[in-house]
Amino acid sequence: MAMKKFINNPDDLVNELLAGFVLANAGKVALTGNNLVVRAQAKPTDKVAVVTLGGSGHEPALSGFVGEGMLDISVPGEIFAAPGPPRVFEALKLAHRDAGVLLIVLNHEGDVMSAGIAMEMAEKEGLNVKQILTHEDISVPSRQDPKDRRGLVGCFPVIKVAGAAAEQGLPLDECLAIAERMERNMATLAVAVTGATHPSTGQVIAEVPEADMIVGMGQHGEAGGGQQPLKSADETAALMIDALCADLGAKAGDQLLVLINGVGSTTLMEQYLVLNGVKKALDAKNMVLARALVGEFLTVQEMGGFQMCAAKMDEQLLALWDAPCNTPALVVK
Amino acid sequence: MVTLERLASMVHAAAAQIRASQELLSQLDSHGGDGDHGTTMVRAMNCMEQAVEAKQAGSIPELLKAIGWAVMGVDGGATGPLFGTFFMSMSDAAGGAALDARGLAGAFAAGLAGVQKRTRAQVGDKTMLDALVPAVQAAQEAADGGAPVEDVLRSAFEAARAGAEGTAAMQARFGRAKNIGEKSIGQPDAGATSVSLLFKGFLEGVTSHG
Repeated sequence: MAMKKFINNPDDLVNELLAGFVLANAGKVALTGNNLVVRAQAKPTDKVAVVTLGGSGHEPALSGFVGEGMLDISVPGEIFAAPGPPRVFEALKLAHRDAGVLLIVLNHEGDVMSAGIAMEMAEKEGLNVKQILTHEDISVPSRQDPKDRRGLVGCFPVIKVAGAAAEQGLPLDECLAIAERMERNMATLAVAVTGATHPSTGQVIAEVPEADMIVGMGQHGEAGGGQQPLKSADETAALMIDALCADLGAKAGDQLLVLINGVGSTTLMEQYLVLNGVKKALDAKNMVLARALVGEFLTVQEMGGFQMCAAKMDEQLLALWDAPCNTPALVVK
Repeated sequence: MVTLERLASMVHAAAAQIRASQELLSQLDSHGGDGDHGTTMVRAMNCMEQAVEAKQAGSIPELLKAIGWAVMGVDGGATGPLFGTFFMSMSDAAGGAALDARGLAGAFAAGLAGVQKRTRAQVGDKTMLDALVPAVQAAQEAADGGAPVEDVLRSAFEAARAGAEGTAAMQARFGRAKNIGEKSIGQPDAGATSVSLLFKGFLEGVTSHG
């Protein structure tokens, strides 16, 4: 089937989407340099700056997390493709301050490489930058060897708590330790029911058989096993939260944050049903749904399905999650 | 000898090879990938030629560094950093005003070493390394045997082509394509094919320049 998308020249896609994104969020974000997304009002330089990078086509991620209480700068790449090291380095130089910079990197080959090269250059220039890798996709089973685990929507809570810590004026080492604790205590699983197309190439990037769902679908719909007949909202919620809790080693009494992230064409109605199913499953385990959030934060074009992220929270992480923020993707007063 | 001018003509010929195969490269990438490898490589070649045409580099290492940095600037996932690293790492080993056969082979080896520091992929994983590793080995063997620059590049290209063709029979064990498992068998890897085309261009650029 031919791709049905409202686009212009594919070569202009990223420039045009960023221009529109900034128009839609005037007062919160702005563009500077080589398409770096920054806050409209910069954070004081005595506080740690938080920076991330990643491919486009996942809106509102990742630039939607730029703003008070979360990111200072995002470096958007091409569609589904990481930005090159020069622009990441440009962002690190722009963010540079005595308080230091925290670079949050999602575990995807291109992102890791660009970040690694930019970090080497930052070190040569004597910039104070620390890096954290998010890799929480449990469709790759081993927690012991997380190199193969992809970074999915879990980047969002990591950015949220690290950004809040930075906003409160905590030093770089503490911001990093908080981000690492959030990262270690979270897990994500994706499920897809319909596929998506690459908006520039028209290439089908994921296909799901008519009557099936695929649990363990990655950020671009990479096949990952777990294909099975489509189940109800409650059944799907239960099987996914069970897998996440098992991976986290969660036990009765644990306080959980659960994020239901629609990836494109799954309705908000369905996402609420799924969250309701999660609550029932957690009640049965005597685990506490301490915080929940539903919506589209990291999308994969018109793919149908969602990512479920669960995290074991402590008092500090909960306080940072609740802290105010004002970004295109999330406002907390 | 590879002089600054010869290096420039090698770059232009390599860019022409990639451009002529843009659709093929994207089509190969559509098996398990995004289908954008051809587009990304053409953008990388545009950046590479701009770095040459800027004529700001006064030496071979400087030009290789400028090319590497320009290629890295392509926002195309791992492609820019990997190919960019190859040229930037070549520059670390490419001293002097011109490269003789041994100098060129040594620079290729340094480029490969740089790439291997960036990726965990190994020969046999159906990646660009399946063309790059044999190409660099062949170049070194030819240079060690006393071959002139043109023969070094011919050996490198032939090994790269054979390596790229050999990836058709491989099952992807790295990158996005590994997720499609056995379905990845049957078509050559897009990145390895790009490496083969680059070396084809390098050879043409040297021979056409006389």
